[in-house]
Amino acid sequence: MLQDVIATTENCRYCLMCRHVGPVELVTHREAHSPHGWALLVASVRRGLLEWNEETVGNLYTAPDGGNSRAWCVTSQPLPEALAAARAEVAQAGLAPQAAYKIQERVKQWRNPYREEAPQAVEGQGEHALFVGDAAVYLRPQTLAAARRLLAAAGVEPVLVGVGRNNAFFPSSLGFPETALAVARENLEELQQSRASRLFVLSPGDYFAFRQLYEERLDLPWPEKIRLQEVTVFLAGALEAGKLAFNRSEGMEQVAYVDPTHAVRVPIRHEAPRRLLQAVLPADAELVELFWRRERAHPAGNTALQFTRPEIAEKLTRARLNDAQDAGAEVVVCDDPETLVHLERYAGEYGLEVQGLYELLVECLQ
Amino acid sequence: MAITNAFPFEMVRSELEEIVGADHITVGETDKLVYSTDWSWMPQMWLDRGERLPTPDYIVHPASPEEIAEVLEVANKYRIPVVPWGGGSGTQGGALPMFGGIILDTKRLNKIIEIDEKSLTVTAEAGINLAQLEWALNEKELTLPHYPASANCATLGGALAPRGTGTISTKYGKAEDMVLNMEVVLPTGRIIRTPPVPQHAAGPDFFRLFLGAEGTFGVITKATMQVDYIPEARLLRALLFDDLGKALEAGRLIMTRRLDPFVIRLYDPASTRSRVKKILGYEYDGAYMVIGFDGDPDIAALQEEKAMEIARELGARDLGREPGERWWRQRYDFYYPPQNLKLPWMYGTTETITTYDKIEPLYWAIKEAVEGNFAEWDIQWIGHFSHWFHWGVMLYSRFIIEAPPEDAEEALRLHNRVWNRAMTAVIENGGMINEHHGVGLKLARYMRRQYGEAWPFLQSLKDTIDPNGIMNPGKVGF
Repeated sequence: MLQDVIATTENCRYCLMCRHVGPVELVTHREAHSPHGWALLVASVRRGLLEWNEETVGNLYTAPDGGNSRAWCVTSQPLPEALAAARAEVAQAGLAPQAAYKIQERVKQWRNPYREEAPQAVEGQGEHALFVGDAAVYLRPQTLAAARRLLAAAGVEPVLVGVGRNNAFFPSSLGFPETALAVARENLEELQQSRASRLFVLSPGDYFAFRQLYEERLDLPWPEKIRLQEVTVFLAGALEAGKLAFNRSEGMEQVAYVDPTHAVRVPIRHEAPRRLLQAVLPADAELVELFWRRERAHPAGNTALQFTRPEIAEKLTRARLNDAQDAGAEVVVCDDPETLVHLERYAGEYGLEVQGLYELLVECLQ
Repeated sequence: MAITNAFPFEMVRSELEEIVGADHITVGETDKLVYSTDWSWMPQMWLDRGERLPTPDYIVHPASPEEIAEVLEVANKYRIPVVPWGGGSGTQGGALPMFGGIILDTKRLNKIIEIDEKSLTVTAEAGINLAQLEWALNEKELTLPHYPASANCATLGGALAPRGTGTISTKYGKAEDMVLNMEVVLPTGRIIRTPPVPQHAAGPDFFRLFLGAEGTFGVITKATMQVDYIPEARLLRALLFDDLGKALEAGRLIMTRRLDPFVIRLYDPASTRSRVKKILGYEYDGAYMVIGFDGDPDIAALQEEKAMEIARELGARDLGREPGERWWRQRYDFYYPPQNLKLPWMYGTTETITTYDKIEPLYWAIKEAVEGNFAEWDIQWIGHFSHWFHWGVMLYSRFIIEAPPEDAEEALRLHNRVWNRAMTAVIENGGMINEHHGVGLKLARYMRRQYGEAWPFLQSLKDTIDPNGIMNPGKVGF
């Protein structure tokens, strides 16, 4: 891993080719908060030009780990992975921000950062499983309930796995790979216990964790015989196949879909939530698009920044809401429970209503 | 010089904070290091070898021309250097804080003021990222046809200040040809706006003073740019010439007959063997040319047909559309690691421009000056011709040493010696020391030779506009 960090940060320290999609620099305007800034920081510490201290570590922890830099790199430089590894070195040395250790301790003990409650054991077995995670249990249970109803309407009754357990992104991103590995292993073990041949996930963040993070950062390859699919992608397919039908909703005119955090890491997913949303919008409503959308979507505040740099996380969330406001939206819709929670925090200040996609779909289910 | 005593440092910092707010001024060691280098080889090499560079004392992020004006008033009062900063993507050291002072990062000035779909113009603040500006224009089926390799990272002001050129300048011109008017904060803090359009006869065209001044004459804060419709058709193909001279002649005839290609990219044989093979995967001996026509499909097809007649008469082999289209799709891939030129290699882009009658002798003169004098370093010299005009063409030449001295000082001296040889050949053979990367720090020392008797005139302008010499000292020869 050390060699990966060196090679990647050496490659990225003087490359500016992904600056245009960097979300943090766009809200702080600081070069040090750009991909090349983070890479140059790590490379400079390695050369003895800087040392890890509160200021430099603080800058290292401004990287959002949202995937934009890599998604836009022609040679797919794994900078987020390299920065996570650099944070691991910092954390190992006892120099990470206190907030990072606090979250790591919570995840280590409770497997989630939100509530002092252990994950629920997996119950039953079946062809399909749904990874619930922590946010959908502790932050937005109505999203989970709606997703399950929709799956049931499409003929799927999944076994629930990972109920109350993080997908391992937070400990990985904060620089605690051992904790991330323990959490990830438990998630995969539950999946094996369920005997499912298909795992549904509620967000692109979960998809990324299972499909990429586990393998690249934790050396836990995805079991290739198991199909991984986002619920939205499945539902859009069911809609197209006529297995689902919706009535049109009422009372919405200008609606924007907000691509969830980590959406850029799953380029195959961009159309599905839009097709679903189009199916339930009032006939005279307009689906407007944010500037930062689809393959260039920026994250909201629900990366690990919410713990270590909450002021930057807030700016990222506000930037999404500003973007929606500029697009003329009155309602913003998203499927990811955690992104929804962050949007809801400030949406009122922008005169925006936040609506969960699954909840909206359930309301319109025929 | 850098402020070393805490008392004046804090006094100035307090004043700057009052102007932009404490959240918009940074003095941390990470920021200082990151802003100590731009995209040029010299400072990057210096840091790469573990050496320290001059750093700014303050990095200031103003949100308006008024705030910039106030910052400049403070800088004048204390005689503090001010270095305007856009994307930091310059290759000549134009944004290096050689004497400390204030880095004036313009990225908070990133708003689009107006897109005029009737006149086809966009007015935007100068700190806007070029790619983001382009995306916004694309939403309205428009494009700013300035496509430099740095588009992802450079700002609008950064395109104008060094007189930048993009990939399709052969048809659409340089950035300076697209600008209608600008707002500039002068070194003394006065905010001025240039006349609304440049093509007038109401006095001298003073607004061009700020184009190419690289921040030494003031800070560009806003610009109105001509934009275009996204072309309906883009026809590209690749050609191969056995002889570079015949390829240059084909380009000249295509241009002088006004066939209006949007791109002619002619790689010399060395570049064809190395870069074209490495990035595009084509192995050819000879001079590889990509040529493109755009706009109305019928007109573009006719222009292409006429150009192909000329090329064929000069012995060109038509390689078809795909090699040209692949180049278009991958034209920026050359700049991504690990396939870009990167440290610990030594490299420099000794690009130049001259008229058609001089271009081929100039090419051979630089090649001989570089390869002939530094053979012991196994130096490579490659070039392509990519910005064509009715009267001449730009030569984008590069030298590469894969095993340069490890010692930073020795490496820097060698780098300067190679440049000296190349630039001497340029000036002696009727070329300009630069076509689009700007002068910055790297070429500053050649400006007097380049301008001769005209240099004192430029210097006197500088002395009048910036009486305390605070703006970007050491750059552009000032």
